[in-house]
Amino acid sequence: MVIKQHIKHILKLPLAILLLASTSCTSTLQVEGEFPRPVIHQLPLQVAVHYQDDFRRYRYVEKSEKRSKWEIEIGSAQVALFDTVLPAMFENVVQVSGISPQENTDIDLFFEPYVEEFQYNMPRETKVNMFEVWIKYNMKVYDGQGALIADWILTAYGKTPTAFMKSEENALNEAMIIALRDVGAGLSLKFSHIPEINSWLNKQGQLQ
Amino acid sequence: MKNEHQLTKGLFLLLTLALSACTSVTIDQVKHVPSELKAGESIVVIGRRSGTDYETEPELISCIGKTLLKGDNPMNVIPEQEFVNRLYPWFEARTAPVHVWDLQRLLSFDEIAKIIDEYNVHYIVWVDGVTEKTRGGGSISCGLSPAGVSCFGFGTWDEKAEYEASVWDYRTKKLVGKVSSIADGTSYMPAIVIPIPLLAQVQSQACSAMASQLQNFFSGSPDQAN
Repeated sequence: MVIKQHIKHILKLPLAILLLASTSCTSTLQVEGEFPRPVIHQLPLQVAVHYQDDFRRYRYVEKSEKRSKWEIEIGSAQVALFDTVLPAMFENVVQVSGISPQENTDIDLFFEPYVEEFQYNMPRETKVNMFEVWIKYNMKVYDGQGALIADWILTAYGKTPTAFMKSEENALNEAMIIALRDVGAGLSLKFSHIPEINSWLNKQGQLQ
Repeated sequence: MKNEHQLTKGLFLLLTLALSACTSVTIDQVKHVPSELKAGESIVVIGRRSGTDYETEPELISCIGKTLLKGDNPMNVIPEQEFVNRLYPWFEARTAPVHVWDLQRLLSFDEIAKIIDEYNVHYIVWVDGVTEKTRGGGSISCGLSPAGVSCFGFGTWDEKAEYEASVWDYRTKKLVGKVSSIADGTSYMPAIVIPIPLLAQVQSQACSAMASQLQNFFSGSPDQAN
């Protein structure tokens, strides 16, 4: 009986080491948060939004050997942001599976966001005691016939200071949410100022 | 018995050190016009987040707000996050009004004016600054012994909290004054078996000083603390 117990303990040890090694190698972060609805002028437009699968499931995996291993899942958080911001910007927003004017005849604009680039900085990597996140988005807007009207870059930046008793995951999540709020602010406030969109809205008589 | 005596001595030493981990605070106030918060009126305390290498800590803003809610003359303080969320995206780091005259532009949008009126905001207090470590010294080494992990050494570091609050009168759209607070303190960490941090409460002292200055600022007294 005693020997059996010893064997049990001996078997437990490598299992625990293995478990510890596997958890300490890669940190995974599923970005989570809530976004407020913007207080802005709403444009009387019917807009169809298309999220590609890459966008919907966007996940950053750190490949550099010199950095800690991180897997950051941003997809669902960024979809939640656009799902909150777009209905505040436009009178009617629907999701579509592609830019297909034939199937969506009453649509004024098609909107398609992409993530061009994602970067982050941990406090130990910089002299600043700050978790920082940059996301470079490419926004594409097509007219109701599927012709590209505008294609512009929108950068998002979020930072959060290191704090006592705050885990790296929580701090990075906070910086991510601030960055996503930043892109929501940039999109909702600058949309009609993009020259090509401004010109299109003028032609449609949508600008006051 | 001997061990107990040594432990008591150690604790006494630590307590003495804790008392010496003190903080000095310098406050200043400039009031351009008399300011008074009437019954039913509210203030908003918001942190500036536009700095590139620092960020006014949300916990400091929350601390000032909570302190203003207490005391002999409690004020109506709207929580920062609630206000910023209700007025999203106009008070984000990159979109927030930088000058008091920017408020006029913001308020040309009826929906924003309506929300601020709903809160009955009279003053908006912008707090800018940070608490940072200015110097560190000493060393602590930890090692594995038969009794477990044990540490030995002594660490010390200085912290400086420097904050300035600009008070905007939402009704007149004017800057009515500024309140500032600078707090310095030294923290110690003696390590005998385990490290024991004796922290100088620099940020919380800065918070108390700011809150007390703001209470004085809105008390309606005509004094000019230039």
